[in-house]
Amino acid sequence: MVIYRDEYRLYDFGPHHPFSPVRLEMLVSLLKALGVWREPLAPGEATREDVLSVHSERLVKRVEAASRGERVPDLEHYGLATGDTPVFPGMDRAARILVGGTLEGARRILAGERRVLQLGGGLHHAQYDRASGFCVYNDLSVAIRHLTRAGLRVAYLDIDVHHGDGVQWIHYEEKEVLTLSLHESGRYLFPGTGHVHEIGRGEGLGRKLNLPLEPFTEDESYLEVFEALVPWALGAFRPDVLVVQAGADAHHQDPLADLLLTTRAYERIFRLILEYADAYTGGRVLITLGGGYSLDAAVRVWALLYHTVHGLPLPGALPEGWLRAWEARLGKPLTPTLHDPEAPYPEIPRRREIEKRNRLTLERLMELLRTHLIH
Amino acid sequence: MLVQDVMRFPVVTVEPGVTLEEAYRLLLQKGIRHLPVVEEGRLVGIITDRDIRLATSRLNPKGACPECAPVAEVMTKEVVTAHPLDPVEEAARVMRERKIGSLPVLEDGALVGIVTGIDLLDALLKLTGVTEPSGRLEVRLPDRVGELARLTGFLAGRGINIHSLLSYPEDGDRVRAVVRVNTLETHLLAEGLRQEGFEVLWPPKKPW
Repeated sequence: MVIYRDEYRLYDFGPHHPFSPVRLEMLVSLLKALGVWREPLAPGEATREDVLSVHSERLVKRVEAASRGERVPDLEHYGLATGDTPVFPGMDRAARILVGGTLEGARRILAGERRVLQLGGGLHHAQYDRASGFCVYNDLSVAIRHLTRAGLRVAYLDIDVHHGDGVQWIHYEEKEVLTLSLHESGRYLFPGTGHVHEIGRGEGLGRKLNLPLEPFTEDESYLEVFEALVPWALGAFRPDVLVVQAGADAHHQDPLADLLLTTRAYERIFRLILEYADAYTGGRVLITLGGGYSLDAAVRVWALLYHTVHGLPLPGALPEGWLRAWEARLGKPLTPTLHDPEAPYPEIPRRREIEKRNRLTLERLMELLRTHLIH
Repeated sequence: MLVQDVMRFPVVTVEPGVTLEEAYRLLLQKGIRHLPVVEEGRLVGIITDRDIRLATSRLNPKGACPECAPVAEVMTKEVVTAHPLDPVEEAARVMRERKIGSLPVLEDGALVGIVTGIDLLDALLKLTGVTEPSGRLEVRLPDRVGELARLTGFLAGRGINIHSLLSYPEDGDRVRAVVRVNTLETHLLAEGLRQEGFEVLWPPKKPW
């Protein structure tokens, strides 16, 4: 099942901002041009109370006031009106529409649906009383809380290139939520967190997992640690449902980060996620989008995701008309195939060292968790 | 950042007549390693868990009796102290040079706090800005007037808030600046900085 409505595109920080609604417009138009678009379920907006299930009243009040164009002096303390997360008219509603989509996904899962793809959301940086990194409200956490309140154990998997800090901190002390984030190391990259030793606190101890990867990590190394860690953690935690933030910004074309995945790795990751869901959660999986700031790469990665979730055969070449129209609009050439070209990429001098260090990080994490990961 | 911003208070203390065993129990119970010794409100010494362990070890030929020897017998009497208004880097320097793990903080002769290596690590974390969601830039600058201003001016021009800015001298005539900025777009910033002629060490250009 796919959840989407055109109003997702109201979440718009302006024409020069990387978190651009053009990504969704392009994606939907591509799926239509490919003839695979099925009428999605249009969600309602999340209510204020839904948002308050994970956020503070004082944050919500400020978002609301800023949305109405009121002058609020302390917005920056709440992570708003910054270069990354500027305010815009109607921001509160636009964010609640995205939250509503992910929440609807959670409701559908509770009603018996298995695979739900929410074509939006994934605002994983938003914290309890702070907007951060393009994220105003945390749709993922609202959905996760809805699921845990219904008595489900939730495993959250975050493959965005940035650490899923908001979701991690919101559920840091909760025993019914496993968070698992694979990301580029925060040594240099935003938000700077996501170390292996952030493993939860109190009842949540041993249930927050982070695998920070070396910059310039490529497909092979990523998949090696992914396949070692994810089934191991899911098998130990035994969740009822898997919630996935499928950011596309670990792709090598992404302008904001330094991992070097190709679409081939993404295809494998998506297939594995569905396999793991079948093996560990009875097939129950809710997938959202997330970061992804190269229009060319993000749209192809998410089209891949759409096809994989529906079990559709993958197209080779992208439709001519679609390509020409978007190339004209964007004023630059686009990759004409769904997958990246096979052309050999030059070998990175540090490749062996990167692989070794990623392996070591994985070992450290598993060592750290052997005593804590509670079955 | 001053000592008073990072010191702990109130301070757990002992009197000189307390036995080593009692002092050791107190350290264990409170989870600390340093005990200033106070007599009639005056600081007369300091004793650490290590002092007690060394003094009472069976490997020590002149080993003290833990149940009967008083703290006064083992404590360090010439205590190095700090003032609440000392900068933290000064406290760090004294501790490093004297190879000691803590400084009792005195104001007008009264013990008002204690600062330990752990508190200085907390200070370092705070100074580096890692406690705020941020990205990190490393830029090498010529060591001359106005270079840092050029860097911060560039960031200000892009509407970027700086969480922290550390700089330290490199070999010769260069300075390394480490900046934590409140943005996901450190890559784009790095590109912009390169175009302006800055030597950006991190993030590097992607190979492909």
